[in-house]
Amino acid sequence: MATLTVTQNFGKGAADIAVYKSLGGYSSLGPRLFDLSQFELIDLVTRSGLRGRGGAGFPTGMKWSFVPRNTPKPVYLVVNADEGEPGTFKDHVLMLEDPHRLIEGMIACGWALGVRTAYIYVRGEFLKAIETLNAALKQAYDAGLLGENIQGSGYSLDIYVHRGAGAYICGEETALINSLEGYKGQPRLKPPFPAVSGAWASPTCVNNVETLMALPWILEHGPAAYQALGTPKSGGTKVFSVSGDVVRPGVYEIPLGTPLLEFLESSEWCQGVVGTLKGVIPGGSSSPVLTAEESAKANMDYESLASLKSMLGSGAVIAFNDTRSAVGMLASLTRFYAHESCGQCTPCREGTGYADRILKAIVRGEGRDGDLDTMLDLAANFSYTTICPLAIADAWPIENFIGKFRSEFDALLASNAGHAESRVTSDFRPGAFW
Amino acid sequence: MSNSYNWPVLPNSDSKIVTIVVDGVEAKVPEGTNLVEALETIGIETPHFCYHPDLPVAGNCRQCMVETEGPRGMALAIACYTPVRAGMKVATDKSSEKVRTARKAVMEFQLANHPLDCPICDKAGECTLQENYMAADRQPSRMREEVGKQYKGSPDHRHVDSKGQDRGGKHVDLGPAVVLDEERCILCDRCVRFMRDVAGSEQLYIASRGDHSFIATFPDQPLDHEYDLNVTDVCPVGALTGKHFRFQQRVWLLAKTETIDPTDGLGANITVEHHDGHAWRIMPRRNPHVNKSWIANSSRLAYRRLSEDRLTAGLFGRSEVPLAQAVSRLGELVRGARKVALVASGHLTLEDNAAILAWAQILGPRAEVFGGSWLWVGAPDGIARSGDPVPNRRGLKLLGIPDSLDELRARVGEFDVLVVVGNDLWTANPSKAATLEKIPERIALSSWSDATVRASTLGVGVRAWAEVRGTMVNVQGRIQIVNAAPILPSPDLEPTWQVLSTAGRLGWTSELDAFRFAQSRIPSLVGLTYRTIGPQGRLLEGAEA
Repeated sequence: MATLTVTQNFGKGAADIAVYKSLGGYSSLGPRLFDLSQFELIDLVTRSGLRGRGGAGFPTGMKWSFVPRNTPKPVYLVVNADEGEPGTFKDHVLMLEDPHRLIEGMIACGWALGVRTAYIYVRGEFLKAIETLNAALKQAYDAGLLGENIQGSGYSLDIYVHRGAGAYICGEETALINSLEGYKGQPRLKPPFPAVSGAWASPTCVNNVETLMALPWILEHGPAAYQALGTPKSGGTKVFSVSGDVVRPGVYEIPLGTPLLEFLESSEWCQGVVGTLKGVIPGGSSSPVLTAEESAKANMDYESLASLKSMLGSGAVIAFNDTRSAVGMLASLTRFYAHESCGQCTPCREGTGYADRILKAIVRGEGRDGDLDTMLDLAANFSYTTICPLAIADAWPIENFIGKFRSEFDALLASNAGHAESRVTSDFRPGAFW
Repeated sequence: MSNSYNWPVLPNSDSKIVTIVVDGVEAKVPEGTNLVEALETIGIETPHFCYHPDLPVAGNCRQCMVETEGPRGMALAIACYTPVRAGMKVATDKSSEKVRTARKAVMEFQLANHPLDCPICDKAGECTLQENYMAADRQPSRMREEVGKQYKGSPDHRHVDSKGQDRGGKHVDLGPAVVLDEERCILCDRCVRFMRDVAGSEQLYIASRGDHSFIATFPDQPLDHEYDLNVTDVCPVGALTGKHFRFQQRVWLLAKTETIDPTDGLGANITVEHHDGHAWRIMPRRNPHVNKSWIANSSRLAYRRLSEDRLTAGLFGRSEVPLAQAVSRLGELVRGARKVALVASGHLTLEDNAAILAWAQILGPRAEVFGGSWLWVGAPDGIARSGDPVPNRRGLKLLGIPDSLDELRARVGEFDVLVVVGNDLWTANPSKAATLEKIPERIALSSWSDATVRASTLGVGVRAWAEVRGTMVNVQGRIQIVNAAPILPSPDLEPTWQVLSTAGRLGWTSELDAFRFAQSRIPSLVGLTYRTIGPQGRLLEGAEA
């Protein structure tokens, strides 16, 4: 059994504070945390190799170090629990099973950054998780673990749960902050970055649920022990949510660097693939898909997946077998992004919808030659030209599904009797008129 | 929201000039300003939709992309949100294939869901989408019929057209002044930012998400604001149109005359747009020192009065007489008077008022000049109105004409002839004006058959504000040019100064003679010409006081 740093309390009823405490919870709220200076704590997190677990994988210690010290403005901590990426459901389970670990992690982060007020921004659909969190917060307040002067340390922290309204884009940190402030959830122009000017134009640290929940273990066992669990560059363990064609889908915590196929086939975890593996989406719907051959080479850590031109992302593993249509999967993903594009930037707003409509036409059997090239061209054109990476999150699936499973697309196009007809509806020649 | 904090930094006289490299050529531009403005100062136009110098930067249209040097080499960035730093390297579409591709791509995306209804669109001819298409795109559409369009718009406005196609909302009535055509909207957010950050009344928002989002008002709340027609100006396409101009004229037919708002003391800069001898609309003209890019709805609709109820001849009692006859009668009456009261007007130019002074000077002690207005003065709204309905009140003061209407009422018995020049006293305050009816001969020079003309014994028609050339001084002490548009309702009409010059035998042949007379009375005008005042006006020395 691998060492668990985040999910060790699963199934033990740790949502109740008494159980959580009996399992060793809240033990960091004493000299272990409050004897550390802010700099020592940030240094400790940096040495643990902990990276943001929300998707981008940014080193947490470095992110914290960007938050200015001694500012006249309040510093806010915002927990990103707006888990909306298709295939990702780890944070939901983490909050349901072990909300006190999140609170303990938030206190540690709050101490490091001098936070007085913290928010947990929870996706609106997670009603049960919101109720669990609120109950846990009440217990923590009643136990004197939150509010004024925590455990006699002189440190005070208030935590509020904010219920989002169910937009995928609000997982982007600046859109999340806009939504938290009561505005429409649309990403902000950067700079300024949230660390300098975030919520209510004050320094704001936005961290994922899982990232903060790793902190109590790191404080207890030390950064070196955490680092040693993973690879040299990716410290610790990671929680994966596995769905698709595996025998036992679910939420698993594994050490970073575990080979992907071992993870899928191990009796301890997913217990094997159903049917013949055709491919794996390794890190949430926006991460580039891996074929079966690539999956054999992949280890579940940031560097290995990056070398295969994919990414660890939020840790949502979607395995699919050869009965699944790549065209159908891409159409479904693109429909999601077209629906969830916030509509702010032109390329993403129009491009994702345009790609979606082409794909729908292909799926209906109305695809024509050149449609795939148009799609690839559109995807290239809406990548890296927008405020936030949502458009790229659609471009990568388009490029990779078409690139890696092109024969399926071509077969579907060829099934349209009129596939070779001209794509351009008019013979427009600008030079002739202007 | 972040956008509210992002007001663009514009070049001003204090800007430090630094050297940057644009397309491999060194250029001197103001530091700290955004690249759209900085490139503009060296003559490089950057196409854009959402950027507007007088609105917060939204950075959402992505059309203005250039390449700038970042930590990882040259990379695409939006020019409207990239400040100038000394020594920075910029590549525009002239030198960068990447920029050309990106701009072309954005154009394709903008047009993907835009209808091709330019022939019936009021914006055609001044449409940013058309301009940028010609500048950056010029490619045929790749869209196939099977792929279809995502029609924007609220489900309430959906309908099926004659070919059975699902269409978005046409002509959504937003409020008393503005109409929305949802399918034309490119969601640049300018109208939302105008209402929120300039008008200060958040009445518009973008509902829904992605390519199915649309501009909307809040439920059961119409778009209704004194400045709401400005959203039709900032709209880069024909999505928002004003009811007053919808389907009235093709804009490329309209000739423009630069002048100033005649309804307010700020003198917001405007253009009167006319065709075929008729004024069709008034548009704001950008002046960063006066009205930015905005005008109030009442200023915008002021053109309507130019063709309503005009006095185009002389009026002797109840009977119309030719203008020339009325003018000579005016001269005879004044010259034959024992004592004449001349009432000047802040609604007229410095030149017109100078003619009154010049005539009074000739008449000597037999004439006295009064001035002022009985109109109610409100408070400035901080956008494009000072609250003072008299546009040239400051000019009257500079000419030495006091606010003395009430004194005239008190001394009404001393006069046997009253000449009211362009000052509708009987409308402004009928009960006070009634006192003046004790003067037996009352002559009114006016552009309209207004209450003052009706209360007078002789009415003389003159040109209105849009038909004369001259100058006015606004509440800031800024002298601004008034220009004449060729929209006379009758060819016989003369400017007020000309009528006075003829009647008073001043011998003036152009408004320049009048301006020279004004210079003799106002020292700070000395050395100025219409050319040096220029289209943006000029702050007079000592005007702050």
